[in-house]
Amino acid sequence: MYKLLLSWRYLKTRFIALASIVSVTLGVATLIVVNSVMSGFVGEMKDRLHGILSDVEIASPGLGEINWPDLHVKEIERIVGDDLLAVTYVVRVPALMNFEFRGRQWTQQIMLMGVDEKTFGKVTDFNPYLLNSKKRDAINFELEETGYDARLGECGWEYRRKKIANQQKIEDLIGPSTADSLVAQASGQSDVTSSEDSSLTNDPNQRAIAFEPLPVVAPVHQATVTDPYPQMNPAIPTSQLSAFDPHADLRDHVRPEEMFNPGRDQHTGIVLGIAISSRQFMNPKGDREELFMVRPGDDIQITLPTSGPTPSPITENCTIVDFYSSNMHEYDSTFAFMSLEKLQEIRRMVDPVTGSSTVSSIQVKLKEGADLNAVRDKLIAFFPPNQYPYVIQTWQDTQRPLLSAVNMEVTILNILLFLIIAVAGFGILATFFMIVVEKTKDIGILKALGAPSHGVMSIFLSYGVSLGTVGTGVGIVLGLLFVYFINDIASVIQWVTGREIFDPTIYYFSQIPTVVSPLMVFLVAIGAIAIAVLASVLPALRAARLHPVEALRYE
Amino acid sequence: MSDAAQTKTLQRGSSKNQQAGGKAPLRVAVPSVLSVSDLYKSYHKGRLDVPVLKGIDIQIHEAEFTTIIGQSGSGKSTLLHLLGTLDAPDKGEIWFQERRIDNLPPRQKERIRNRDFGMIFQFYHLLPELTTLENVLIPRMVQDNFFAYMRNKKKYTERAKELLDIVGLSHRINHRPSEMSGGEMQRTAIARALISKPSILLADEPTGNLDEESGGEVMNTLMSLQQTENLTIVMVTHDNAIADKADRVIRLVDGKVTHC
Ligand SMILES: Nc1ncnc2c1ncn2[C@@H]1O[C@H](COP(=O)(O)OP(=O)(O)OP(=O)(O)O)[C@@H](O)[C@H]1O
Ligand SMILES: [Mg+2]
Repeated sequence: MYKLLLSWRYLKTRFIALASIVSVTLGVATLIVVNSVMSGFVGEMKDRLHGILSDVEIASPGLGEINWPDLHVKEIERIVGDDLLAVTYVVRVPALMNFEFRGRQWTQQIMLMGVDEKTFGKVTDFNPYLLNSKKRDAINFELEETGYDARLGECGWEYRRKKIANQQKIEDLIGPSTADSLVAQASGQSDVTSSEDSSLTNDPNQRAIAFEPLPVVAPVHQATVTDPYPQMNPAIPTSQLSAFDPHADLRDHVRPEEMFNPGRDQHTGIVLGIAISSRQFMNPKGDREELFMVRPGDDIQITLPTSGPTPSPITENCTIVDFYSSNMHEYDSTFAFMSLEKLQEIRRMVDPVTGSSTVSSIQVKLKEGADLNAVRDKLIAFFPPNQYPYVIQTWQDTQRPLLSAVNMEVTILNILLFLIIAVAGFGILATFFMIVVEKTKDIGILKALGAPSHGVMSIFLSYGVSLGTVGTGVGIVLGLLFVYFINDIASVIQWVTGREIFDPTIYYFSQIPTVVSPLMVFLVAIGAIAIAVLASVLPALRAARLHPVEALRYE
Repeated sequence: MSDAAQTKTLQRGSSKNQQAGGKAPLRVAVPSVLSVSDLYKSYHKGRLDVPVLKGIDIQIHEAEFTTIIGQSGSGKSTLLHLLGTLDAPDKGEIWFQERRIDNLPPRQKERIRNRDFGMIFQFYHLLPELTTLENVLIPRMVQDNFFAYMRNKKKYTERAKELLDIVGLSHRINHRPSEMSGGEMQRTAIARALISKPSILLADEPTGNLDEESGGEVMNTLMSLQQTENLTIVMVTHDNAIADKADRVIRLVDGKVTHC
């Protein structure tokens, strides 16, 4: 009874002791904030990392191929059994992408993935990341009229038709043409010329407008869209065009509707990662802008190695049909997707005799909650590395370096922050020693009145426990509040300092993700209280050992 | 020491003294509530031995008011602490109610201190964080666990208020020690010493720190309590006037009892 009363009274009359646990409070609060943000971050990152990776992948290393993939799948189905949800084939090949932007050729290296339209979406989380809403339900590699995300600006068939028409105008202007046609098209040409001119000026605003040539020339095109190829118009004599028309000889044998007409037809469809050919930047006004060097509807060239014993480069014309944005910069800036069959055909991966084709990897989707590592190990056991040179990995294995780096970071942060609380423990130790010294006489009195040593000890222990609990409790509340309002706090800090704390162009998060794990909060609380108790044990022991006569002599 | 006090002591203790016969160990037959035989105590300061008590024999009789007087440094406080089991003697025995108490395990010593001894100190030794009433109740709180105390709280509080009434402090039950005078604090300490209905009251210069008037009040309180409650009191003092009022006087000189 007296223990409770006294430790309560000591607590009430010594608010300064509370100061000694402010560090506990701060430590607990930071631990909670850091852990919540880190696990929010890691969770988000894992989702994104997993995004276009399958649960388990059986891949041939490098540019190698897996022959007879169907037979492999049969075995995989047998080995994995009930856990198997879906399987798909992927061809993966590094490629060069070539495109024209503002009159220049740009080359970019990409990782080209040939994916099966029907099954790829079942194995990975690819579909939701597509920017055309029509493709999210079922992947296809056709250019769409509508359905593109508004952030892409003008794109799709409409854009393609306008662009082709526009190009035609320019071609006509610089190409061989009679004085008549020049005069006839003067109005349209002058527009084109002026936009070209303005693109050469140094004023960045002017230039930004010039990146979008279409709005400037659009009114002129409306009329010409219906007839994008005037040179194919029989009204114009073929003789005028022949010198500059590479297809002149074809034109005599192929009817116009059978010919490739870029205003009507597309090349091989390709889906690009949004970061491959787009840049985010800050305009002088401080707003974020996105520049697309190419957009759905544009044509690009892909150069890739053929399959087989003597790979040789082959170039394929492609039409961008969509972008995907998984918000993982690493993926968005590397991967491009194409139809599996088409890619196999381009790379000559189909055996002309048997009709069977080869793939780079077989990707497997497992049921929710299946043990990925166990499945991987079973597959490795069936395809022993010394017989099959396959790389069999879970998505976590693939991203191991990143994941383990992040885990390491979390661990180190936790250790550091716990050290802060441990330092706070020494503060408590010192404060409590002083309180015990101050209370020496009281301890003597209590002992003279028959209080046992452990009773005196528990006064100071419960004092420590209450201080630790109060400090921890306040810390938890503060930490949780901070986590809850973290985005508001970030924007306040941003407003005060004028500096972006959480740059979405780097992280692609518009909000700071947080996950509060109750277990983490519980462990942090237990740890902090334990440190407070440990720190009060020594002073309490000293109090218990005090000799009553010595204590009473103290006056 | 006055002759009157001496005679009084002799009158009361004569038969017992004869029976005890010098330094012979105490017998059960002797109705003394607390007795000490051949008690030695020295303090060690480094290698230096400071002998304080050098063979003390005392008997304290029931319902008597005994004073221990002696010069400063003669070991009075030391002796009282030994009697109160706050310290252990180097040699010798202390018997309380026919039971040797100097070699008991700590738990039983604590129990005796809590229930059988009431202690009063020169510097009051109240707990500054507690009110007068709570200070008086402390021995009861030490005695009982939480639930037992809560059950008996009403009874204890009544008794504490009764005691505070007796010592004349019923109007100050909610004051802190820092808000009271020395005399009031000492009377609170007396009430605290009596809350557990002890069989013996050990007081170390209870008036040593008080002016004459408050000292007199404290003494009056103690004397009347001794009369009404039939208390056994052992009081350390160097005030001859107080010794005059005692039933018996024990004089300590150079670590020995010179006069009983
Ligand atoms: N802890 C200690 N260490 C060393 N010497 C001590 C200690 N406590 C007491 N003494 C010595 O023992 C002797 C007796 O002390 P004690 O306090 O019993 O005297 P006292 O008779 O009560 O004196 P006073 O009347 O001043 O209170 C003194 O000489 C003192 O210096
Ligand atoms: Mg003394």
